[in-house]
Amino acid sequence: MKKSADALHQHVMGLFRSEDQAAAAIRQLAQSPWKLRRVHSPVPSHKIAAALALKKSRVGLFTLAGGIIGFFSGFGLAIYASTQWHLIVGGKPVVALVPFVIVGFEFTILFAVFGNVLGFLTQTGLPTFKRLPHYDARCSGEHFGILAACRPEQHRELAEFFTRQGGEPRIFDAPSPTRGQAP
Amino acid sequence: MNTTAHLLSPELDTRRIVTVGLVLAGLGVAAFLATLAAQHPQRAWQAFLINFLVWSAMAQGAVLFAAVMQVTRARWSGPLPGLAASFSAFFPISLLLFAVVFAGRRHLFPWLHEDLHGKQAWLNIPFLFSRDGIGLVVLYSLGFAFISQDLRLAIGANTGAGRLRACLLGRPGNTTDPQSCLARARVLGVLYIMAYALVLSLLGYDLVMSMDPHWVSTLFGAYTFVKAFYIGLGALIILAAAVRLRLGDTCGLTDAHFADIGKLFFAFCLLWADFFYVQLVVIWYGNIPEETSYVITRTMTAPWNHLAWTVLFVCFIMPFCILLNRRVKTRPRFMIGLCAVILAGIWLEHLLLLGPALGPGTAGFHIGLPEGLITLGFLGAMAAAVAFFLKRFPELTRAAPPASEKTST
Repeated sequence: MKKSADALHQHVMGLFRSEDQAAAAIRQLAQSPWKLRRVHSPVPSHKIAAALALKKSRVGLFTLAGGIIGFFSGFGLAIYASTQWHLIVGGKPVVALVPFVIVGFEFTILFAVFGNVLGFLTQTGLPTFKRLPHYDARCSGEHFGILAACRPEQHRELAEFFTRQGGEPRIFDAPSPTRGQAP
Repeated sequence: MNTTAHLLSPELDTRRIVTVGLVLAGLGVAAFLATLAAQHPQRAWQAFLINFLVWSAMAQGAVLFAAVMQVTRARWSGPLPGLAASFSAFFPISLLLFAVVFAGRRHLFPWLHEDLHGKQAWLNIPFLFSRDGIGLVVLYSLGFAFISQDLRLAIGANTGAGRLRACLLGRPGNTTDPQSCLARARVLGVLYIMAYALVLSLLGYDLVMSMDPHWVSTLFGAYTFVKAFYIGLGALIILAAAVRLRLGDTCGLTDAHFADIGKLFFAFCLLWADFFYVQLVVIWYGNIPEETSYVITRTMTAPWNHLAWTVLFVCFIMPFCILLNRRVKTRPRFMIGLCAVILAGIWLEHLLLLGPALGPGTAGFHIGLPEGLITLGFLGAMAAAVAFFLKRFPELTRAAPPASEKTST
């Protein structure tokens, strides 16, 4: 298995102007012998996401965990701070849960955001300081880019596949063995 | 054979629903009259008022959803606004029930026998029923006018028979101009939304808050109409889920529709709890006996304190934890159960608000067979009204035809 995966050195990118064509090409690619490496989209796209059939993101779990930690931290901080003084103000109890809801709520939101950002960074592998291999600058403009890998002798076939799907193929040079593969 | 034919062309058995609904409504009327004739007519009137408020708010809130979708030019909601429009069928019943509330005024308004310290200019029966009655007539007229234009846009020219269709879609053969219908629907939608906020605030102040005439909360009106939208969405989800279960994909409702309206429902669960808390925290900080006595009675004295925690759990904590999950929102059976429990929680919340005012101590704490049967009667009336509407407008439970077909008709 590893041998056959390693043999896919050649990378070809199909550049599409149409979101629907790009989504259809992704679905077709899944049934082909070639390996889908990466998809670039200039805009967030539900169609592309559906075509990729990715596993559910774990970012939401980070957000939830952050929110739960924040909720208890907010109440905890408010209770701790109040008990350090033991002052009765306006006849209210020292530990008064009704107004502490505000602190708990604010901390819930704050820590949920922290969790979200942390989840986003860890799940997407950001920040990255390496230059992305096999990238076409048009993907930052108005093109959807689908990067696929094949055996070196199959690159023309893969390029034709992208042309048939309505895209413009771009064939990248095969990397030298020391440079490693695209993520 | 029969089963196969049934599956090939599923339809809502609206006639049966109407019949069952009318039977339940009859049962409710009988229970109401029997309780009224018993030793405690107060109990019958209390259950009647709670149900009038809850079921009317449900219909008003559901129609608000259709108006909001039209005014915001929302496209995500698909067939949901059409289903929401069917709740307008309860409007005439609600108006009739409001007239019945007038008959129970001596049992319902404790301030009739109290010194109001100058508030009698506002709190007197003729003025109260006049302004609330006019408010309801205006609200329901705007609702029907909006629904009429919205249906003309969704269905087009009237090709069927029946008075209700002729009333809302125009006579068969009359042509409709989509552009002018759209413009009118948006204007009427805005007017309905404004009237909704004003009239529901008024009803909240007059029929709920005034029961404790010395207690004042300026936010109570907003709390009332946010709550009405919350339960309106709940009722709409129940209807949509039932239609989806019965008709399958032919109704045009998809998982995405349920996920999206589930999110909106979740948002209004939070907003309802927020409005509840915002009132509470101001009273807590102010610590004025005139204001705190209302909260202390309901949250710190038995049996109302148990009811208060139940309401908080059923209407906020439980749905909050459950609706965080996306998948449950797309499960019709589960959502029917969840929304039904939340609606029951809002019924209990009305009991919590009205009960201590209508009966001193625990005298107003009534949850028993009469309340159950009267509530069933209201449920039957709502089910019969909605089913009757959908029977007259079967297009609302079918997936919209492709644009090319629609323009050709």
